[in-house]
Amino acid sequence: MSDRALSSTKVLDLTHHISGPYATKMLADMGADVIKVERPGSGDPCRALGPFLGDDPHPDKSLPFLYLNTSKRGITLNLKSSDGQSVLRELVKWADLVMVNFAPATLETLGLTYDSLKTINPNLVMVAITNFGLVGPYRDYKASDLVEYALSGLMYIFGSYDREPIAHALHQAQFRAGTVAAGASLIALYGAKIGGQKSTGNLVDVSIMEVMAAALRDTFSQYTYQGIVRRRSPRFGMVLGRSVSTSDGYLIPTMIGAGTDWEIFAEFLGAPELKDERFATQEDRIRNARELDEVLRRRFAEHRKLELFHLAHAWRFHFGVVLTPREVTESDQLDHRGFFVEVEHPVAGRLQYPGASAIYSETPWQTSRPAPALGQHNSEVLGGMLGYSKDDLVLLRRAGAI
Amino acid sequence: MPLPLEGVRVIEMGQLLAVPYLCKLMADMGAEIVRFESLTRLDPHRTSVFYENVAEEDFYNKAANFHDQNRNKLGFTLDLDAKGGQRLFQALVAISDVFCENFTPRVMNNFKMEYDDLRKIRPDIIMLSSTGYGYSGPWGNYGAVGPTVEASSGLIHVSGYQNAPPVLAEIPYTDFVGAEHGLFAVMSALLYRARTGKGQFIDLSQQASQVAIAPEPVLDYLANGRETPSGGSQDHSTMAPYGIFPCHAEKEEGLVGEVDRWIAISISTNEEWLGLCRAMGNPAWATASAYSDELSRWRHRQELNRRIAEWTQAQEAMPLMERLQAEGVAAGVALTNKDVLFNKHLRERGFFRVIHHQDVTRMPPIPYAGLPWRFPEAPLPPDRVAATLGEHNRYVIAEMLGWPESELKTLEKEGAIGWKPISYPRPRPVGVDVLLAQSRIAGYDLSYKERIAREYGL
Repeated sequence: MSDRALSSTKVLDLTHHISGPYATKMLADMGADVIKVERPGSGDPCRALGPFLGDDPHPDKSLPFLYLNTSKRGITLNLKSSDGQSVLRELVKWADLVMVNFAPATLETLGLTYDSLKTINPNLVMVAITNFGLVGPYRDYKASDLVEYALSGLMYIFGSYDREPIAHALHQAQFRAGTVAAGASLIALYGAKIGGQKSTGNLVDVSIMEVMAAALRDTFSQYTYQGIVRRRSPRFGMVLGRSVSTSDGYLIPTMIGAGTDWEIFAEFLGAPELKDERFATQEDRIRNARELDEVLRRRFAEHRKLELFHLAHAWRFHFGVVLTPREVTESDQLDHRGFFVEVEHPVAGRLQYPGASAIYSETPWQTSRPAPALGQHNSEVLGGMLGYSKDDLVLLRRAGAI
Repeated sequence: MPLPLEGVRVIEMGQLLAVPYLCKLMADMGAEIVRFESLTRLDPHRTSVFYENVAEEDFYNKAANFHDQNRNKLGFTLDLDAKGGQRLFQALVAISDVFCENFTPRVMNNFKMEYDDLRKIRPDIIMLSSTGYGYSGPWGNYGAVGPTVEASSGLIHVSGYQNAPPVLAEIPYTDFVGAEHGLFAVMSALLYRARTGKGQFIDLSQQASQVAIAPEPVLDYLANGRETPSGGSQDHSTMAPYGIFPCHAEKEEGLVGEVDRWIAISISTNEEWLGLCRAMGNPAWATASAYSDELSRWRHRQELNRRIAEWTQAQEAMPLMERLQAEGVAAGVALTNKDVLFNKHLRERGFFRVIHHQDVTRMPPIPYAGLPWRFPEAPLPPDRVAATLGEHNRYVIAEMLGWPESELKTLEKEGAIGWKPISYPRPRPVGVDVLLAQSRIAGYDLSYKERIAREYGL
């Protein structure tokens, strides 16, 4: 295999579900050697997460699991057994980076604290993803994506003014925490290896609540600068910058773009009634938002979404178009980037997955192998890499350690 | 102790959000960010949300988002249209490690700032282009902002209320998603360069980044041909009860306007369900067979949610959350921007970082959102406030490039650098009372300054 961006990086992946596995997938797809550790028996709970290929809840047919664990090798290890702990110590010695996403109390129970791991490997970088961070009054609180949206401040402003607030569907908070953890782990590795920082300062504490709250930054400034308490979408004036119906779906019209003004916008939309003095300035448009919305809604309903989307960009208005997941898979732009990639898996077969978020000129993103079956690389890693004998492996298995 | 990214020099050419946010994360971790701006096309972050909602003559040095995003960076002006602008940019490239930009390919080509142009000057340069849809392709020159990418990723279609138009997140959500992926990309390239001496070009698509973290419906379509229905925010495929429940809304002292109160509750195990029942005082209805196991609760989730809402609506939100969490239930109040600023957990973790402003801005110290990570063993030094327009022009030209002082005057005369925006109208902020009357905000606090000073000990 050619030289990859992270070829020389050895990662011990003690994560499960979504956030940690996405972080280590990012590392693995860029060439890091990632060893994923699952508990013997049931494995990563993500194996039970749908949707499944053919709606068959088989542990090797969870589509999120297959997607999140490409390019990794997989072993099983019972972290609660003493034999498992001694294998773990060997792996910690081997690794440059260990990634965890257990709850803080579980980390302590399992002995997975930075203080204890650094005595095994003083150069280790440890990245911990937790719901609320390793310290603080909410440390042991429980959370889901929904709860993280609520406590970060995003939920309260998300939705319609007079309705209950909402959150994005899917698992956005966990995926974003994984993305952030992947970036932070490389900052720590860079500091330790190139910045010459050496053995101290290599613990990274990623709190999902703070990943979310960091993106609410301008709402905090609205309070600190103006005393404003934000709420959800206003009742009126919701057309520009938000969604509007067309004859066949939804557009996100905006006024943003090169050298645009209200008159040009009216011409582009073929709506001379927008040149009325009630809509002349930004303040007029806020004051007369209800009337403005009526005009805009009527006009947009005359168009088809993709036609008007492309026309808007020809006028250099930065419009958006609401695509369905099917339309995403059929997008000519993503196709041009070769975004969807095929991976052959021994059980799930040949499937397409989302691929590279970025195209690199020197070190291309690529999947080097499909997601591992449970314990697939036990003998390769424990036997080949760590030097355990065949007899040792039999004993470890009998003891329930692997 | 040195910071992890000390010694890395980055040129930042970005407006609004994605690239400036990415560079903010690197700046806080010790990278030297040379941010340059145009005097004729001001960063929109300099033109809105001013201290005390007043746009004074020097408004561009007093804008909230600008200060939030550009702490710990060097502020430099550079007009590429002007004579001397290109010469200055090329000299900077020659001494930098990374160049990050978020303009369309059309702009980069016009100014001869594409990767092939740059690597003639500095062969091992790393260049990150962050665009809505990518650096080439049929949508390559389409400008984008957060909401438009959120729409084109499929996320918005599957989110939202049932049987209602799509709803956007009210923050430029995908700018953050793009920046977070961009940070990973730049760091990967820096590690590779440290090992091999080779730079590279990174073409980041915000749309692709967002699809990568919203894969479930796309995977379901690709593998099973199934199309996920729209409006899926209020339901979960396995958890029940699951939802956002009303709470009793107390009138807030000093607030003009009204804050409604909501709590998010999600139950994924039997143990958590029993915890919720205990918190409710084990009502008789909860023991019905319709709610006895996970599958039954999921099947009867609508009536279950209705019963829970009846219980929550008489409760005060924060004590309710604490009671539920004490019973092992995942629950969280939908906090307002003000609540988060004063939240005890974030306060204790030092999430918000107080920045002391320069005297010329006549602004007091103000807390700003911090980083999404902590390096607990390597505490960060105090932040440097964002630069006023052109504050580091002299430093960059005289100290960093080592050019003679006379160059400053020449470049200023040529219009390549400056200290004031050129013929830029002073913005007219809309009053907070107008915003409230038009239902664009929940309200405003009359004593916010005193409250912040008190809570943060300023």
